[in-house]
Amino acid sequence: MSRQGLPEWLSTALPDHAAAPQNLAQAARQQVETIGLPGLRDEEWRWTNLRPIHRGNFKTAQGASEAQPSEALPLENAIRLRFVDGALQSIPDDLPDGLTLVSLADADKATRTAAFSPTPTPNTDDPNDALVTLNTAMAHEGVVIDVAANSVIERPIVIEWLDGATDGAMSHPRVLIRLGQSAQASVIEQIESVGDQPSWRNSVMVSKIAANAALTHIALGLTGQARLTTERCFASLERDARYHSYNIQLGGQVTRREYDIQIDGTGAHSDLIGLMMPRGKQLMDTHTRIVHAAADTTSNEHYRTIADESGRGVFKGRILVERDSQRIQAFQASNNLLLSDTAEIDAKPELEIYADDVQCSHGATIGRLDEEALFYLRTRGVAAAEARGLLIAGFAQEVIDEIPNEALRGWLTERVQARLAQRPDATTGA
Amino acid sequence: MALLEIKNLHAEIEGQEILKGINLTVNAGEVHAIMGPNGSGKSTLCHVLGGRDGYEVTKGTITFDGHDLLEMETEERAIAGMLLGFQHPVEIPGVKNIYLLKEALNAKREAQGLDEVDTFTFMKQVRELVASMDMDDAFLHRGVNAGFSGGEKKRNEILQMLLLEPKLALLDETDSGLDIDALKVVSEGINRMRGAERGIILVTHYQRLLNYVEPDFVHVLYKGKIIKSGDKSLAHRLEAEGYQEILEEAS
Repeated sequence: MSRQGLPEWLSTALPDHAAAPQNLAQAARQQVETIGLPGLRDEEWRWTNLRPIHRGNFKTAQGASEAQPSEALPLENAIRLRFVDGALQSIPDDLPDGLTLVSLADADKATRTAAFSPTPTPNTDDPNDALVTLNTAMAHEGVVIDVAANSVIERPIVIEWLDGATDGAMSHPRVLIRLGQSAQASVIEQIESVGDQPSWRNSVMVSKIAANAALTHIALGLTGQARLTTERCFASLERDARYHSYNIQLGGQVTRREYDIQIDGTGAHSDLIGLMMPRGKQLMDTHTRIVHAAADTTSNEHYRTIADESGRGVFKGRILVERDSQRIQAFQASNNLLLSDTAEIDAKPELEIYADDVQCSHGATIGRLDEEALFYLRTRGVAAAEARGLLIAGFAQEVIDEIPNEALRGWLTERVQARLAQRPDATTGA
Repeated sequence: MALLEIKNLHAEIEGQEILKGINLTVNAGEVHAIMGPNGSGKSTLCHVLGGRDGYEVTKGTITFDGHDLLEMETEERAIAGMLLGFQHPVEIPGVKNIYLLKEALNAKREAQGLDEVDTFTFMKQVRELVASMDMDDAFLHRGVNAGFSGGEKKRNEILQMLLLEPKLALLDETDSGLDIDALKVVSEGINRMRGAERGIILVTHYQRLLNYVEPDFVHVLYKGKIIKSGDKSLAHRLEAEGYQEILEEAS
């Protein structure tokens, strides 16, 4: 079967110049023209229909905007980077020692090359990777976050993605995060819609974590009925490095997030924690791929989906342990809750293990609320509807409790409870 | 008026009759022990009293404190003052103990026309109870029974009862699987609940509990019927002679 190539509106939007070095951008343009967007026949996209993007006729938005997020996150002294429809508004000054922020457009060629050379390396011929290739062809905005060796940046770095300030806006930003040896930083993505018309953001974030450094990466998909987001996060870990990722998805029409983790150094560890709560007609999809390419490395993955109404949740988690990677511990759990007959959840673990000294476990469950627990709560006098609400909130809370920031945990708990209080059978007096 | 009156209760699960004509009267101030071998219907009786789905009452009546119990939802029974202690308390990770305690207490207070409990008074009372059950305050902020040992779960059941002060405490094998230290703490808790206003039903498999909580009445449940009732000496006979002797005597 021949591939369709890009939809015409997207093909004509391909720019002559982009932030990627000329040879990379040019090659990407040619590739993506040929392979087009991923479709349901591509293995990694079989549960996620990009039809709203195919039909979208999105346009690159221009200029600055006064757009604001729905609410400021409860983070003191946060360093805020605001992108409105993919355009970086400004670089804050008064940065702590050891932290450098540069607009991608202003970065030197070596830095831009790094931003467009993620590890693990996507395959530009592979339709499954077409959105990364498209990003390489189109990205003209983004930011480079550099943390010097031994620097601990206490202040959280917040990236605000405010999408849809212009109706039908499309953007392809690229973010590069580099942590020097023994450095430490937290990056929090606040993802919001500021309009009610469709928008599409196709982001790529490339994290390079040097030896003994630790990056905490929190993504909060908050508001947005018509927001389409396709996001790909690459992280490569050198010896003893740590990557802690938390992915909370509450809003958006279609949210596809992919994590590609390359554990290259011995002693390194990766956490991938996530909560997706699709309802209405929302689709929330997370694909993770972890490559244990060094011995004595560990990974811990814990994803939960709560699908209500006609919401759809997708989780696919792949773990690859290479032949010489001995003494690996890799745990993956995907627990899912279906709250309605029309909701749908697809969960698929995928383990490929070529070493022999490996502790690897995975489990995927899809269920309804525990009747036994419901009965227990009711025997304590808690009304049935309220008991259901408690159990659903409790299921979500176990993920929220893993987020290493108390103020953010409390804020998210309230946000999730408020969302659950909108359920038809929820009581208001809780 | 009796606190609880069960008359000719028949109940089945999935079409199989488990309770075959139970009669039992419990007055305020009394402690009743219901003993019986495995499969005699002890847990079914507790579940029917608690209002669990899947248990169908086919005949008989249950009156609780003047209400037709079988017409009440599970939560209404709790609010009216009947509290069920579970044989296997359910683990509910993600719902904090402190939150459940407060929800449960406020549900009861609301039914009584009282305001929500104020946080200071509530915390003080809860902390005292936690200490009295030989538990750690940290448990309050853990998920309900999540990762608890068997003994901790049963202590938690008693703690909830001490806080919620039911009119009727129905304890389903609360003593099963407890080591002696935990059994003593749990028994002390039960003894503290004893009072002129309160009925207690201890459903138990083992006579040992009755060394620590002295019942006023002992009933032997067998094949869905109470085949013999007596005072605490019946429990001692069961311990000494086993069920067989008494079953033969009753038949």
